[in-house]
Amino acid sequence: MRRPRLAEDLSPAAGIAAVALFGVLAAVFLSAQFPEGAGFSADAAITEGIGYALFDLVGQSDLATEGFLFAFLTIAIALDAALDGAILLARRDDEEETLPDGGERR
Amino acid sequence: MIDVQWYLLLSAGLFCIGLFGILTRRNALIFLMSVELMLNAANINLIAFSQHFGHVDGQVFALFGMALAAAEVAIGLGIILVLYRNFGDIDVTAPTTMRW
Amino acid sequence: MTGAFELVPAIAVLPLAAFVIALFAGKYMPKKGALAGIAATAGSLILSLWVALTVATGDGGYNNPDMYTFVEGLGGTVTLELGVLIDPLSALMLVIVSLISLLVHVFSLGYMNDEGETGLPRYYAGLGLFTFSMLAFVFASNLLMAFMFFELVGLCSYLLIGFWFREEGPPSAAKKAFLVTRFGDYFFLVGVVAIFAMFPAAAGRFAGDGSFPALAQAAIESGQTFYGFDAQTAILMAGLLVLGGVMGKSAQFPLHTWLPDAMEGPTPVSALIHAATMVAAGVFLVARMYGFYALSPTALGVIAFVGGFTALFAATMGVVKQELKQVLAYSTISQYGYMMLALGGGGYVAAVFHLTTHAVFKALLFLGAGSVIIAMHHNENMWDMGGLKDRMPVTYWTFLAGSLALAGIFPFAGFWSKDEVLFEVLIHGLGDSPLLLGGYAMGLLAVFFTGFYTFRMVFLTFHGEPRSDVAEDPEPVRWNVKGPLAVLGVLSVVLGAINMVPIKKLTGAKIDYLHQWLDKSPDAFLTSVHHYAGDHGLLHDYAGYTKGYLAGETGTVLIGAAVSLGLALAGVLLAYRLYNVPQPVEHTDRLGRAKTILMHNYYQDEYQVWLATGLTLPVAKAADTFDQGIVDGVVNGISSVSRFSGRGLRRIQTGVVSNYAALLTIGLVLLIAAFGLMGGWF
Repeated sequence: MRRPRLAEDLSPAAGIAAVALFGVLAAVFLSAQFPEGAGFSADAAITEGIGYALFDLVGQSDLATEGFLFAFLTIAIALDAALDGAILLARRDDEEETLPDGGERR
Repeated sequence: MIDVQWYLLLSAGLFCIGLFGILTRRNALIFLMSVELMLNAANINLIAFSQHFGHVDGQVFALFGMALAAAEVAIGLGIILVLYRNFGDIDVTAPTTMRW
Repeated sequence: MTGAFELVPAIAVLPLAAFVIALFAGKYMPKKGALAGIAATAGSLILSLWVALTVATGDGGYNNPDMYTFVEGLGGTVTLELGVLIDPLSALMLVIVSLISLLVHVFSLGYMNDEGETGLPRYYAGLGLFTFSMLAFVFASNLLMAFMFFELVGLCSYLLIGFWFREEGPPSAAKKAFLVTRFGDYFFLVGVVAIFAMFPAAAGRFAGDGSFPALAQAAIESGQTFYGFDAQTAILMAGLLVLGGVMGKSAQFPLHTWLPDAMEGPTPVSALIHAATMVAAGVFLVARMYGFYALSPTALGVIAFVGGFTALFAATMGVVKQELKQVLAYSTISQYGYMMLALGGGGYVAAVFHLTTHAVFKALLFLGAGSVIIAMHHNENMWDMGGLKDRMPVTYWTFLAGSLALAGIFPFAGFWSKDEVLFEVLIHGLGDSPLLLGGYAMGLLAVFFTGFYTFRMVFLTFHGEPRSDVAEDPEPVRWNVKGPLAVLGVLSVVLGAINMVPIKKLTGAKIDYLHQWLDKSPDAFLTSVHHYAGDHGLLHDYAGYTKGYLAGETGTVLIGAAVSLGLALAGVLLAYRLYNVPQPVEHTDRLGRAKTILMHNYYQDEYQVWLATGLTLPVAKAADTFDQGIVDGVVNGISSVSRFSGRGLRRIQTGVVSNYAALLTIGLVLLIAAFGLMGGWF
């Protein structure tokens, strides 16, 4: 293996847009006035609170939060669907392969 | 505590680095990594405000964001596989048939 | 029992019914639609005679101008309507048209049916439609309705001239007739619009206090101006525009070129349309709106000059023609020139008188020519005829009667009418309008030529030795040809009795029946003779026409009559000496170069074709180039701008994802910067 090299196939002209975006965002954030925020108390059990929030057991935690059970279940289904989709996309080995732009085959 | 602006600046910087990667790189896997960077920049933003306001909702959102990022990567890799099969190369500038 | 006047529309509708019957059921009928036409025109003739009787014994007229209003004008704008106007002039014309039409229908049995022509339902349908349009034109009560039926008779003329459309000549002649008259009718239409625009309250009506001649007279009195022109000039311009249509339809110079070519149609059609009725429509229209024309001496002068010039011009061309119908065609043009001369010269009664007698003797001459053509197996060249007078006696004697009337020989009908025309022009010329004397001179010279060419035609056709086999043994003609000839022959002898003005002036006997008849029009209509030509009529007050005499009134009458009769007899005698010999020769060859010009009709046809192809066509081509290049070019240019910019803009869609992401980012940067600056974030 060769040692890592800087990429040669960069086309850096478009990157100026990203830099410009950073400039604008920095200007906005640094000049914004934020209200004085209240942080967490020193001995608050945050991770425990997140766990209770995920299962709609909000009363058992001291932190101010709300229930996220429905979102939790939805994300679980979405992850499952994504896994199935990835397997489906990866599995097209034994079909006739059409090349849409008439490009060269592998 | 550290002022929330610095966390926001970090998040903006990470986002723009990811954006730079999308705009300039041609390798599809690097493209996907850059997209991951942008998603994580958003997560940092959420957690920064959660800490600033003392609300734990932001951190829960960030958890969900991470889960979705994982799902998206799974699908993205599948798409790259199909792209390779059809165009023989994982250069994102190769598939240009949907144009004038 | 309904009065005659309520049935006036039926006079026109009967021939229309015959048109429909002939068109749809003609091929099943024994005479292919002729009997329907004969029945319809006979019915129209009976109704017209009854109407004329009612006019004679009643109060003189009937005016129902708004029988059907198809556009109701609100608040001073124009009303468009259809109506009926019966006054002595239109009643007389109705009788003439229906009588000639009936005789032509009967004659067609012999000319078309007996000769085995095909397509007869179409022919009789055309005749029926023509008769309907002409009769409706005669009793039209307003100018727009007159214009509609004027155009319709032109269409029927086109259909009937081109009856034998499978040959080369007739369709071309039909097109020429239609286009030349249409050219004149364009000016007529502009004139109609002008009259409607100048006098919207009149709705174009011819008669009554609300008619446009009455409003025009009131406009002159009150000094009203129209679009910057004073009233008399505006009336002159509108009158001249309408005169365009009149000149086209009545074949006056320069729109006369269609009439000789129209002889390609069947001879009964020539007799009906191009001799007695359709070409009379123009002259009838001027007589109908005489109250309008009488207000402008310049318009009258133009009419007189055009008429006089045409009379002489056409008479010179008739002298050299070789075909029978061509001589008659130029004769028609010339005689209508006399009528226009009369109208322009202030002789209203004279013009109507000549219109009546001419309708009779010209129809007679054409029907006689038709009889000769049947006998000669459709060979019209007079140089192949000769000696027919012994073989076709009825045709010969009636044709001779018609020719004597045409030449204006005492005591036939044409003498009285032509003499009165010339007399009226002379006395008004000797009065305060000396320019009319030019018209008089041209009319007088045309009398000599008329006598000459008429009798050249008679002698070449009927006298001498037969010059071809067909002339020696001509085909006999039957009663359906001889009957109409006999009727018209008798009429052309006696019809002069209706207005023998010279005898009236000499003896004082009240025998000027036509003058009295035309004067019978109710005063409310404003169309009577004394309204036009009386001592305080329009001609005297507005056109400044007065009467001057050479040697007192009776003296002038006798001198005028003697001069015109003398010239006519001189022409007849010259023709007698040259052509009444057993073997006549073409004496017109002695004219040399002049004959070539006359045979080519003064090159008027070539001139008009040049006007179309050499003058109008390049202008049209330039206009077309302008339209395609500039007007279309601007429109195409606008569309090509959008196509070009579209072609450029779509290159943004490169299909490369990174480019799209770059565009998104730039857009986001600009948005945030814009919001920030506007919202004062920085």
